[in-house]
Amino acid sequence: MSGDHAKRIGAIHQELHSHLPAEPALRVKALESLLVEKGLLDSATVDAWIEVYTEQVGPKRGAEVVARAWTDPAFRERLLANGTAAITEIGFEGWAGGHLDVVENTAEVHNLVVCTLCSCYPHTVLGIPPNWYKTAAYRSRAVRDPRGVLAEFGEAIPDDVEVRVWDSTAEVRYLVLPERPAGTENWDVARLATLVTRNSMIGTERDLGLHLGEIA
Amino acid sequence: MDGVHDLGGRQGYGPIDVNEPPEPFHAPWEARLLGITRAYTRPASFSIDWFRFVRENIAPTDYLTRPYYDQWLQTHEAMMVAAGAISVDEFASGKSAKAHPGLPPAMTVDKVPAAIRGMSRFDRPSDAQPAFAAGATVKTKSMGAAGHTRLPQYVRGRVGRIENFRGFHILPDTNMTGDGPAEPLYCVSFLAADLWPEAAGRKDRVYLDLWESYLERA
Repeated sequence: MSGDHAKRIGAIHQELHSHLPAEPALRVKALESLLVEKGLLDSATVDAWIEVYTEQVGPKRGAEVVARAWTDPAFRERLLANGTAAITEIGFEGWAGGHLDVVENTAEVHNLVVCTLCSCYPHTVLGIPPNWYKTAAYRSRAVRDPRGVLAEFGEAIPDDVEVRVWDSTAEVRYLVLPERPAGTENWDVARLATLVTRNSMIGTERDLGLHLGEIA
Repeated sequence: MDGVHDLGGRQGYGPIDVNEPPEPFHAPWEARLLGITRAYTRPASFSIDWFRFVRENIAPTDYLTRPYYDQWLQTHEAMMVAAGAISVDEFASGKSAKAHPGLPPAMTVDKVPAAIRGMSRFDRPSDAQPAFAAGATVKTKSMGAAGHTRLPQYVRGRVGRIENFRGFHILPDTNMTGDGPAEPLYCVSFLAADLWPEAAGRKDRVYLDLWESYLERA
């Protein structure tokens, strides 16, 4: 049965490959105009979604989640117990957030997130994934050589720290809760959030204390 | 399927571009495509697993050489062709030959704010009992699947530990062609040193979410 599907879809891919231009910008134009002509798409709605993922839904949301967890122990506990319920409390529920699992970095543990089979990502708290997250280079190596990957990002993970790699094979999505840097004891949520990078929530960055000098 | 998409542990793909600019989109067509995929009305049969299966069937040479959003584009094109909604000729000419009846109208701008908060769940209620408890030692199946599956090659035939039971989740292997049965889903961890020579002597672990039919008692 699935063999028939594979054969049929393979043939369609081959036809598309031979009859359509390789240039994706041209094919996107054709897709949009065909969908609009068929009444399946409104171009103004496309504009609105682009604005959503450029302005509204991005890693700033994840940074706020992290900063809240750092400052509110009860929220941190709820976040670690049920990520989806905790982000819903602050109105951040959405795309790929239905089964959110938050994994916490400690002095002994470092977490790294990947999707080896495709490109699963917690869009509702991190927005659009960086290209590198979706490349064969990252997907192939993150599970096998996470310390090498982290070194490429400039992070040396000490030998006594356990590295945990989370391969997003189901609909569970992962968000790393990085460690709060020392010297930020009196900071409020808004200021703390400016320290939290996208990469630290994927796990390709560990020490956020390095940013302390950059934040006023 | 045992396709080129199953990349975990494969070698030779080179360095990671760690200096990528921070903007979410690196070309206008990428943003356009993302917007289209969030906005367009599609047949109800387009599940997340159907999307993945169709993407996995892109020719390996294209899969590895075309940019990510180009693969998305080709997947949406192929799904629409397979559904009979847009033909290859229509894509090639850019001209619509026939209206497509029977689908709900296009999403309008006023629906976007609520849709941002829309969230799919993939667990289903069940009275059945999961076969494995947290802490149990399990072995993954050594054989792959003919069609879509979410058991990567690098953990086939390996011994791991059940970390927790995540509820009954719809099984991707059957969900690719419809809302198939829900099965117990577990978070399973593997000692990295059991998987990779590079991890010898380390306590590092790799965690995956795996369905019950992918597992056997060890």
